Amino acid sequence: MPSYLFKYPSTGESHDLMLDDLFRSLNECKIDGSLQHAISVAVSEAFTNAVVHGNCEDSTKLVILRLEVNDQGITADIVDRGMGGLKQIDSRRPSGQLDEGGRGVDLIRHYADSCQFKETDDGGLQVTICFLNQGKHKYDLVLGSRRK
Amino acid sequence: MEIQMQDQDNVAVLSLSGRLDLASGATLKEQVKRLIEKNTIQIHLNLSEVEFINSSGLGALVSVMKEVRLQKGRLTLSNLASYVQEIFEITQLSHIFEIYSTEAEALATYQTVATR
Repeated sequence: MPSYLFKYPSTGESHDLMLDDLFRSLNECKIDGSLQHAISVAVSEAFTNAVVHGNCEDSTKLVILRLEVNDQGITADIVDRGMGGLKQIDSRRPSGQLDEGGRGVDLIRHYADSCQFKETDDGGLQVTICFLNQGKHKYDLVLGSRRK
Repeated sequence: MEIQMQDQDNVAVLSLSGRLDLASGATLKEQVKRLIEKNTIQIHLNLSEVEFINSSGLGALVSVMKEVRLQKGRLTLSNLASYVQEIFEITQLSHIFEIYSTEAEALATYQTVATR
């Protein structure tokens, strides 16, 4: 089963490159439709948080995306090199309706079957997002198709 | 993301295509800011060609809406693809924005308001 590793500088332009890589990888694994949409939104949110809040758009700091597809499902790890990311996650408050930000983590939690945040050894944040085989998106990765 | 603009009876119609995210959201906000500076405060966004949106893109739309409302203007949206509509509903922004199925339907409401 395939796994992928990508690294990006923490700039606004990296988001487009990351999505290109992500869509290409998912297409290779024949993951499409609503599951592809769910993964792309969840990974995009974690990636944007890593670039903006984690690495503070410092282009010398990389954001790592690891993607693994196996019988259990799909796991995406997004890792930044910022400091205090876990505290920011723990102290976040619900976004108000007219707030311009604050919806990213809620979207990740909505789309993913599970989402974990943990601090890395060098103080960065690792977000692990799982989409389980036959989880909430009812996708059978072995058969490569949606369940009836 | 690309933004095409045309004037339809005093309504600026912006047709967005591509990905609406952090970088392109900033572009959209800048474009709307320039419209407002020219006293164009009736703005319609056709999202039919938006193939991806995330919370940064939503944030840009909220920002644009607040700017337009601050100027006593009006912002409408139309032609949301199903996955874009879904994200509006998850975030409950579907209750905040004026969303129409088609551009024609949205533009007709401006005419109705103007003739009252």
